[in-house]
Amino acid sequence: MTTPAALPPLPFNPSRVRSYILRLPLFTRLVLLAIFAFWILELQKIWSVVQWGSLTPDEIGLGSMYRLNTYPFIHMGFFHTLLNILALTPLLERFEAEHGTLTSVALFIGPLSTLPAGLYLLVEKVILHRNTPVIGASVWAFLLLGSEAVRTFKSHPYFSIGSYKIPTWTSPLLACVFASVLIPNTSFLGHLCAVLVGYLLGLGYLKVFVPPEKILRWIEGKLNLLGRLPHYVSVDQKTYGRYGVLPTANPVGDRPTPLSYLGSTQLPTRNLRRNPHFLFIRLPYLLSFLCIVVGVIWLLLLPLNEYSRRTYISENALLPGQVHAYFSGSEQNIFRGYKKELEGLLIGGAGDNGGEDGVSGEVEVTPEASEKVQSILRAAGLKVATQNYEYTSAGITHQGQNTYAIINAPRGDATEAIVLVAAWKTADGELNTNGITLALTLARYFKRWSLWSKDIIFLITPDSKSGTQAWIDAYHDMHPPSVQPLPLKSGALQGALVVEYPFDHRFESLHIVYDGVNGQLPNLDLFNTAVSIAGGQMGIGAVLQEMWDHDDSYEARLETILRGMIKQGFGYATGAHSSFMPYHVDAITLQTKGEGWQDEMALGRTVESLCRSLNNLLEHLHQSFFFYLLMQSNRFVSIGTYLPSAMLIAGNFTIMAIALWMRTGYYAGSSPSTSASAPADEKKETAQKEKDASPAKTDASGVMERQLALPLTFVVGLHLLGLLPLYIFNNLSHQYFASAVYTCILADILLPLTLAALLTHHSPSTSTNAIPQHYLLIKSLSLLLLGLFLSTLATLNFSLSFMIGLLCAPLTFTNRTTSTSVLRHIFSTIGLVILNVLSPPVVLVGGCWWAGVSVESVLTLAAFGWDVWGVWTQVVVWCVWWPAWVIGCALLGSSVF
Amino acid sequence: MTVLFLLPLLFLAVLSTLTSAAPDSDYHEGLVLQPLPQSSLLASFNFRSNTSQESFEQRHFRYFPRALGQILQHANTKELHLRFTTGRWDAESWGSRPWNGSKEGNTGVELWAWIDAPDDDGAFAKWITLTQSLSGLFCASMNFIDSTRTTRPIASFEPAAHHSSSQLHLLHGTLPGEVVCTENLTPFLKLLPCKGKAGVSSLFDGHKLFDASWQSMAVDVRPVCPESGECMVQIEQTVDMVLDIDRSKRPRDNPIPRPIPNEQLVCDTSKPYDADDTCYPLENTAEKGWSLQEIFGRTISGVCPLTEDENPGKETVCLRVPHERGVITSPGASETRNPDGLSRCFNLEPSSPFDLIIPEQEALTQVPLDEPALSAERTIVGHGQERGGMRIIFDNPSNSSSVDFIYFETLPWFLRPYVHTLQATIIGRDGIRRSVPVSQIVKETFYRPAIDRERGTQLELALFVPAASTVTLTYDFEKAVLRYTEYPPDANRGFNVAPAVIRLLGLRDQAQSYEYYSPVYIRTTSLLLPLPTPDFSMPYNVIILTSTVIALAFGSIFNLLVRRFVAADEAAALTAQTFKGKIFGKVVALRDRIKGKGSKVE
Repeated sequence: MTTPAALPPLPFNPSRVRSYILRLPLFTRLVLLAIFAFWILELQKIWSVVQWGSLTPDEIGLGSMYRLNTYPFIHMGFFHTLLNILALTPLLERFEAEHGTLTSVALFIGPLSTLPAGLYLLVEKVILHRNTPVIGASVWAFLLLGSEAVRTFKSHPYFSIGSYKIPTWTSPLLACVFASVLIPNTSFLGHLCAVLVGYLLGLGYLKVFVPPEKILRWIEGKLNLLGRLPHYVSVDQKTYGRYGVLPTANPVGDRPTPLSYLGSTQLPTRNLRRNPHFLFIRLPYLLSFLCIVVGVIWLLLLPLNEYSRRTYISENALLPGQVHAYFSGSEQNIFRGYKKELEGLLIGGAGDNGGEDGVSGEVEVTPEASEKVQSILRAAGLKVATQNYEYTSAGITHQGQNTYAIINAPRGDATEAIVLVAAWKTADGELNTNGITLALTLARYFKRWSLWSKDIIFLITPDSKSGTQAWIDAYHDMHPPSVQPLPLKSGALQGALVVEYPFDHRFESLHIVYDGVNGQLPNLDLFNTAVSIAGGQMGIGAVLQEMWDHDDSYEARLETILRGMIKQGFGYATGAHSSFMPYHVDAITLQTKGEGWQDEMALGRTVESLCRSLNNLLEHLHQSFFFYLLMQSNRFVSIGTYLPSAMLIAGNFTIMAIALWMRTGYYAGSSPSTSASAPADEKKETAQKEKDASPAKTDASGVMERQLALPLTFVVGLHLLGLLPLYIFNNLSHQYFASAVYTCILADILLPLTLAALLTHHSPSTSTNAIPQHYLLIKSLSLLLLGLFLSTLATLNFSLSFMIGLLCAPLTFTNRTTSTSVLRHIFSTIGLVILNVLSPPVVLVGGCWWAGVSVESVLTLAAFGWDVWGVWTQVVVWCVWWPAWVIGCALLGSSVF
Repeated sequence: MTVLFLLPLLFLAVLSTLTSAAPDSDYHEGLVLQPLPQSSLLASFNFRSNTSQESFEQRHFRYFPRALGQILQHANTKELHLRFTTGRWDAESWGSRPWNGSKEGNTGVELWAWIDAPDDDGAFAKWITLTQSLSGLFCASMNFIDSTRTTRPIASFEPAAHHSSSQLHLLHGTLPGEVVCTENLTPFLKLLPCKGKAGVSSLFDGHKLFDASWQSMAVDVRPVCPESGECMVQIEQTVDMVLDIDRSKRPRDNPIPRPIPNEQLVCDTSKPYDADDTCYPLENTAEKGWSLQEIFGRTISGVCPLTEDENPGKETVCLRVPHERGVITSPGASETRNPDGLSRCFNLEPSSPFDLIIPEQEALTQVPLDEPALSAERTIVGHGQERGGMRIIFDNPSNSSSVDFIYFETLPWFLRPYVHTLQATIIGRDGIRRSVPVSQIVKETFYRPAIDRERGTQLELALFVPAASTVTLTYDFEKAVLRYTEYPPDANRGFNVAPAVIRLLGLRDQAQSYEYYSPVYIRTTSLLLPLPTPDFSMPYNVIILTSTVIALAFGSIFNLLVRRFVAADEAAALTAQTFKGKIFGKVVALRDRIKGKGSKVE
């Protein structure tokens, strides 16, 4: 028995929520408003609202009796407010609808606040002799739950779980227990008092407080409250209120005639459901937009104290900074000796001009220097081996020789190992003589200790980009043929530290770099240990993400997060440590920065202490977080808090895709004439009109067959086409990159237009009236894929998903416009220009221009990342973002033709 | 040949001199010290006693420890080999292993025994009895050697020649994760007749012994039948350790290797930059000086008087250094030099303490170290939670002769090897990698697949490595997902995989000319296998629990909020309306039916 303009049954009906909120009676609204207002008031720090209005047993005196009334309105923070509002609204609304606004005011301002408060004070102060302040509207929620429970008990005394019969009146007590167990800092006693008063209310013992009906009527009549106040529930409307109807799953709209007993309050819902235009065309846009806005705001909220946490050491075995570091004294003489020895063997003479000048010059690492490193390590009693490697990427050959040496754990069995890396060239390309020398000195020093439970591997690589990658690949036997296998091995790697000290003067602070390839991060415990040892034990400040002066302000925190997100999103290796991450080996780089009074021995002691901490590990680092955003060296947000942000943005595409899918199946053609902003009555009329007029086109538009062949081919084909630029950009020689990008930009302008022209001019011959549906289906499928990919990606690489999501956000709102107005062409052209600005190659060029780097170098790095590091950011760009963008452009472009 | 097997030969020579006389029961002890490169010192202790089979069976224990003897009799064990080992033998620096590797075991505890039982089940029951009892005796977790860790090797071990019973079952078990420490040393010492009070055993100090770079304690019980005379039960206890001389010489109250004072640094003064604050360190080329007192923290307190020799203390302590090396001994001890010029032995005074002082001296000649006949390395390759690979590299350093050997490994059941992926590669000295069919390298295979939670995989391969080449064997495996309760408390550490045991063949001819046939064994290092591990951490447990509780609470509260219970008297108006509605609904339904019929007719 389908009816005209049938609506698809929605599992969750958003219109019902909207109507519910619109229907809220007066007193409920006022209470919610007050709660909200107090929450806003709390945001300022000058006057503590909580302290002013909370129910603190010791503060209660004659002058502060107001607290007995104010405490339900005041909350601790956003979540407390939100939860209490959610819990209170339905209960309070029901109460008011049943008893009328005036009675509610009288009861809730009076006895229903003061009685539980008094009871609480009595127990807390007189019996327990404690002083726990309580606040929050949960007292009313539990009070009302209590009274509801008593009434339920009268009609329905038990509910049974299995063979047990549980009296229904206990349910608020259970809720009370659950709440106090699950949510921290809830006052069990306060809730219990509320429930008790609620029982009294439900049993009718509090009827004395209800003002007589006569007086109420008199007031109501005198003041004409019913006429003056909106949403006022009159004394006469009370008793049963609207509860004649049981909410049912059967959609009301399916009934052919409106049912008279529904009452006036149901009208907005009905109108909404009667107005498919709003539901299918306007609402998805609103929801999608809301998702994006909330997603962005969510991210912006993260730096606040309420949403971030202080870091802490989760793995107890680490014991950072609990041992004395002995690396000092005569070891410094040896350090100097090694350094002079190495400097003498370098071409370009870093030792001659020294300092910053020396490192910026072209210094070649000679084979003699490498030989010397090996001989020093061998003389220190370590087992030394070398590994040659060669990589070719974008026409550039990277080759080198890794030298590494192993200290066997004195009583160990080569089951576990720690890696200490020093590269001749730092991540910034500077000569790292001090770092290398420090590693050599530490190797000689560590060899003397007998306490190592894990092997220690000293790895000296020629550069920070490819050396560690070649080594770690070969360590796990996953290396390409151009890389030699390792002649010497140890056990499972437990952690890796990279040391960089590329200048000759003393340093001020340690810069800890932690980003891995593809946005993988090391276990937070490793970072925390480094911060704790550097800061706590050695007195060296630790900074991150190149935030040299972090003043702990909101802006600085946000900037740190954003810098971290950009690095994570690009997914390139930020240092020699990054290559370890794909093998689940936690690694960080320690870089010395600034001009201060810390010398190489301080860095050496930090490394020693870090190695001692890692040496303590019984298990692989697993206790702490692997997904986090750091905003300061001792503050972070974990995945549970930040993930919704990217998920909401990815969800906006899915919402739109589902709406479009339904629209193509049930509701043919948009009717732009229907105005969603029309008043309710009008809407009702138009809906009626539509309904009357619909029988003609019912069968066509009610349930419609989707023609999927063309849209599916189109979307899948474009996604496969993305492999072409992916291949080209990863295999081109580096000198052609710039021209390739500009060709790509040009192609990106032409391709959507060509596609649009093909779509508009070719399809009509095959089938006449299904064309609008085709466009919608193409968009739906494309957005569906986009939403799917991005939400999956958000769990792997949050930042990349977030960035691509934001760049793709306009695609939700681009559409084919078919109106006949002249403006159509202008608007579509402007839209096309805007979209072209957001195309992947243009964003790349723009980003490079903004950052001041050449496009060629970025693409060379990207190709290197693809070939050597295994970065898959390109796949996301060319096979997820680019196809979605082309489809969006083509749809918009089709309105030009 | 003389050079190649000098070290084991010396042990054998010492043994043969000691065992020349074979009375009813006897006891011998000995200590061989040999400095090794990289300031290491190998100390090999050997304690051996024989008891006649008859008195053993009648429980007349004199030198044979009663506690162990009773256990062996109770468990019908005819031959027992027990090993406690920590660390790894650095064959590259230290040469071939002491006793040809026959007196050492896997990292942790290794135990194998020949048990006299009518059938396999009976043997296993006795085996469990044996492991449980030994576990108590040696304070080790040998009771964890259950069916999953027990194997029955076919070719890797051979019983002593003189067993009377024919129903012998060999069972072998390992505990690679077991940490060997002083609690195992104390019961070990108690088995000795002199209990660490006199003789060379008085050198045992837990602090020094377990600070060694490598150490192995072994207990071997086997029947021995000389050509003339009755059969005997022999118990041999050995302790081998490699001590770091520098580390051992540090005083116990100040063991921290602090940086040495500036003035004590040995610098290369020929460097142009050499200054007071700059020093390129010179490594000391001279042989380190040491003494027993410094290395072991005590001296040998006399001779164990139970040694039944005509001359107790004769050649008890032997030292393998060239003859030109100066050695100072305690007064009263006499020195016997070996004619080969590389070792000397000392005759101890029965009642006075004995110390040995070797001053620091520039080394002119070195005692040649034997090169091991084969080196083996086993590693896990690949990464990820699901699959992995095993790679075993055998390197034959000899340029002329190939090496035949038995490769034996036991894998836990949660490591599931794919034997069909077994591949062999040969790399010659030219560095060219050639894949060869496995059958070309492997002559025989004995493979017993695992049964989940019941027994592990047993793989024995008889293979050979051609001269001057390196053979790499690889196979893939799959990692099983364990049940929640099967994970140990430190699940994220990974799971220990026992080392592989390699028994070299073909050396028998050379060794059989001696009284004792001593096979050559090599063991690889143990491995750590990371398995897919669920997150056992508290927050996730809390999330799971909380979600469940919230779901329950939400369900009931939602129910409470949505469902409306109306009392009968309250619902009077409602029922009236429903009644009206019902009628109306029926009318509508009727109308639709008529319409529908009509359309159908059309």
